[in-house]
Amino acid sequence: SVTGKLNVGVDTVQHGVEGLAYLLTESSKLMISETDFQDSIQVLGFSDDLNKQLLQLYLENRKEIRSILGELAPKLPSYHSLEWRLDVQLASRSLRQQIKPAVTLKLHLHQDDDQTAQVLQTDPSTLLHLIQQLEQALGEMKTNHCRRIVRNMK
Amino acid sequence: MELSAYAQGGWRLLGDPRYFPRRSYASLLRAAFRGLLDHPHAGLDDPDLKDIDPTVLKHCHAAAATCILEAGKQKADISAISTCLEDCKLDKERIEQFCTEYQKNKDALEILLGSIGRSPLHITDVSWRLEYQIKSNQLHKAYQPSYLVTLNVENSDSGSHPDVRFSCTMEQLQDLIGKLKDAAKSLERATQM
Repeated sequence: SVTGKLNVGVDTVQHGVEGLAYLLTESSKLMISETDFQDSIQVLGFSDDLNKQLLQLYLENRKEIRSILGELAPKLPSYHSLEWRLDVQLASRSLRQQIKPAVTLKLHLHQDDDQTAQVLQTDPSTLLHLIQQLEQALGEMKTNHCRRIVRNMK
Repeated sequence: MELSAYAQGGWRLLGDPRYFPRRSYASLLRAAFRGLLDHPHAGLDDPDLKDIDPTVLKHCHAAAATCILEAGKQKADISAISTCLEDCKLDKERIEQFCTEYQKNKDALEILLGSIGRSPLHITDVSWRLEYQIKSNQLHKAYQPSYLVTLNVENSDSGSHPDVRFSCTMEQLQDLIGKLKDAAKSLERATQM
């Protein structure tokens, strides 16, 4: 075990792990530069070799840590996938001889660790309207306004 | 097209000028159609109907409504309706009056009957919001676009229903649009067959 190999107490190992985790998490969260990272750990008084290893550890794991941190933010259910089906209603208890086209959708969403599936329906004209609206939404990111903001925020 | 014995009884009364003079007959027909299509309590306070015995009025109103709904449900044509009313001993003029009134209201009736019944939540509209995430308390300098899509839905029974909301990335939105477009293309092909 780790305590055996290092010849130190359990508490020490725990503190060590927590400290390291904190260092990496905070650095990744703030996305600090290499220079800033090196300056920050300088105060710990470690050897140059150790400092280099820590920097390496930070750079190699930064992306994954950030991806995990991103999952922690307050979130709404997110899109997973969509299934669809075309139906034609021919009759019902209250009306015979119908020809009523409908599009049935199954929307799969992720919420935290759960997956939900919701069955929805729409008619042909609303379907076309949905497509048009959502294509407009997608196009927004390509407008000058949005491009300018993205450029200036980085 | 067949009516129950109760309804037939009501129509026999409706065809009898001793119970329903011409104007009262016309008023009752109007009341029956309005009651089904506009307001549930419409029309029975028409002055032409106030002299009629309330029990008879109720019976005949029910009979008229039953006939209207049955004709609508079966998508009955004029000859089927006429035959049915002839069996209740209605004269030609009164049958014609009913058929004229029926023709006028046929489309609205069909829409009403077609809307009754269970179906999954119906999407009526969509709204969206584009945001650019800058940071959260867990992650700084996040910098990514995110879409918030709201689907307005209606319940076939109660009308309104909380909207379906979800967030998605640009890629996911692209996926969603792609699938919807596939459905639309299939629809187009199906209508051309």
